[in-house]
Amino acid sequence: MTEAAGLLDPHLTVGTAPAGREKLGLRGVSRHFGAVHALDRIDASIPEGAFVTLIGPSGCGKSTLFNILAGLLEPDPGGSVALDGMVVPPGGLLGRVAFMPQRDLLLPWRSVLDNAILAAEVQGQPKKEARALAREMARDFGLAGFEDHFPQQLSGGMRQRVALMRTFLFDRDVMLLDEPFGALDALTRSLMQRWLLDIWSRYRRTIVFITHDIDEAIFLADRVLVMGARPGRIRMDRAIDLPRPRAAALITAPEFTAIKRELLEVLEEESLKTFQAGQR
Amino acid sequence: MKALALLAPLALIAAAWEGSVALFAISPFYLPPLRDVLGAIGANWQAYQAAFLITLLEAVVGFVAGGLVGVGSGIVFAHAPRLKQMVLPIFIVSQTVPVIAFGAIIVLWFGNTLAAKAAIAFYLTFFPVTVNTLAGMEAVDPRQIALLRSFGAGRRALLWKLLLPSALPRIFTALRLSAGLALAGAIVGEWFGAVQGVGALLLAAMFNEQIIALWAAIILAAAVGGALFALVAVIEARLLFWREEL
Amino acid sequence: MTAALRGLAGGLILLLGWEAAVRLFAIPPWILPAPSGILATTWTARAGLLPAAGMTLAEATGGYAIGAVLGILLAILLSQAAMLRRVLLPVVVIINSVPVAAYAPLALLWFGTGATSKVIMVAFIVGFTVFLNALDGLTRVDPAGIALLRSFGAGRLSILWRLRLPSALPAIAVGLRVSTVRAMIVAIVTEMLGSQLGLGWTIFEAVLQIDFLRVWAAILVASVMSLAFFGAITLLERRVVFWK
Repeated sequence: MTEAAGLLDPHLTVGTAPAGREKLGLRGVSRHFGAVHALDRIDASIPEGAFVTLIGPSGCGKSTLFNILAGLLEPDPGGSVALDGMVVPPGGLLGRVAFMPQRDLLLPWRSVLDNAILAAEVQGQPKKEARALAREMARDFGLAGFEDHFPQQLSGGMRQRVALMRTFLFDRDVMLLDEPFGALDALTRSLMQRWLLDIWSRYRRTIVFITHDIDEAIFLADRVLVMGARPGRIRMDRAIDLPRPRAAALITAPEFTAIKRELLEVLEEESLKTFQAGQR
Repeated sequence: MKALALLAPLALIAAAWEGSVALFAISPFYLPPLRDVLGAIGANWQAYQAAFLITLLEAVVGFVAGGLVGVGSGIVFAHAPRLKQMVLPIFIVSQTVPVIAFGAIIVLWFGNTLAAKAAIAFYLTFFPVTVNTLAGMEAVDPRQIALLRSFGAGRRALLWKLLLPSALPRIFTALRLSAGLALAGAIVGEWFGAVQGVGALLLAAMFNEQIIALWAAIILAAAVGGALFALVAVIEARLLFWREEL
Repeated sequence: MTAALRGLAGGLILLLGWEAAVRLFAIPPWILPAPSGILATTWTARAGLLPAAGMTLAEATGGYAIGAVLGILLAILLSQAAMLRRVLLPVVVIINSVPVAAYAPLALLWFGTGATSKVIMVAFIVGFTVFLNALDGLTRVDPAGIALLRSFGAGRLSILWRLRLPSALPAIAVGLRVSTVRAMIVAIVTEMLGSQLGLGWTIFEAVLQIDFLRVWAAILVASVMSLAFFGAITLLERRVVFWK
């Protein structure tokens, strides 16, 4: 077992999250790309219904880890991913988790509604049925009245909401969000964060959320996983027991800043390693 | 490595040619064995060499002139939007004219000279280059222009340091396309009474129904095309070394 | 709107200047006929030009349709076979780098001086153009988009249908648009080399008879047809690729 594994015994991390059974489990997940060692024996357990954020310096392998969780990459032999307690065979995660990449990747030839139902359509759900469902959901996603617009007619925040709606409509228990708000301005971002929490509390899915914004990581999460510099491993697993629902002012509260300081220390150390590696 | 990338498909074509002739017993009326064609070229080496050089020269003269004028008119259009609106539509319409039909008239104007073929090659070259130069210059990020202007760059500096270099990739896209067009222009120009050049060889072979000579002329046309492409590729590699895709 | 007006003005200035120059300097028609003379000849020679134009148009559009369909189908096929593509693509590029004009005599010897040789030549050039454009579009799809669809559990066909084909449409449309003018030119060039009917043949005959007004008239008719063909495909493109 690695030093990282010592830090994070999943059975000890009990936050405000529904301390349900494990939804997603990573056991000794490593990944090499040729000579590059991207991930090193990652262990993590994500309980059902939890909101977990993943933060780390750039190049720490966050995206590699995400691609593994989405089923797009396989871990090196020896490691495994378990969904609902069952180890998943190669390629077995494809179509089982709702993955939202960094860019919205909306298709310009499809209307808002048709973009939102893309995943459902691929899964074989009849278009008509999926559209009806999407029409109902549009209000929750702040898209009422825009159902028949095309992506190029929308603002950045709206496009992101369409992409999120697509992810929610892909009715899977686990959602992987890769820096969904990375390209938005600070104000829109803060609005979207609260809105996402609201949506999450209503639809109750297990969410794994990548970010490189510490405030965002703490504000959203039941748990924050801090990843270390390459080869990526988990350096810290911090339960966030701040009460919900959370208001915007929370990020200036002393208990928030205390957590932030704690995370910053670890992150700083890891970022420095990457930085110094570049100076050698 | 690059030479290999070119040689491999050439070898593949040669092997497929020889192989299919032998395997499917293709009548020599359709496809004579490759070695017979190459043999014909070898037997008449000097004539083929002369034809190669003449057609290449015609195409290169028209191509270079067309390229320069194309870049020049692209720059002018980029700086004079009103002029562009007046003249560019004419240029566009001029390209839907089946240019090659002009061959007859141009040969009439210039006589059976190198200039006649070069003029056709020119006509075919300058338009794509004009359009792509213009598009490349218009596609430059206005913020980048603003940045340079904040450094005190004038029109000339802006053109040489930003606009033209940014447009180069597109200009070369047009040049690669035009190289083929220029050659086609030169060859067709030779159909109107020329006695020398690849086009003349093609016609002679057709009228005499000599399939081997016809294939030899086609291979010769490919060789001229290859030489033109190589010319463009060498210049492109020099000027566009900073492009990642290359 | 002003842009369109300026374009119109530019065209008018060109025509008037041309007409004036011919009259002023008394340029003989065998060097450069006046636009009015070309129009007049087009009208008086219409009985001969019309069937010729019909023939050329039929050859060009027929070959165009065949070439476009084959080009797109072949591109779809090769987009699904990476190995085959890597072997075949350079070969195709080399064959395509020989100017079409060089293949025209071959087509005439093989398929005779009738319409077949022209249709085949047009299909050949259009097929290549559309194929190369379509293949480029089909293989240059955002890998992140493919990853997203795969994460939805989409298979090859689903990705082809929902992502690759629509993303490739703009590139295919460019190929189709460029091909219109090429189709006309190739039909005319092949006709010039040998045929019984068509604008290319009209031009060739007129050159032999030193009837340069008729050459210009045939060029005018061919240009108008090219422009109409080009315009029609451009309009269609705007409707199909509405998001660009």
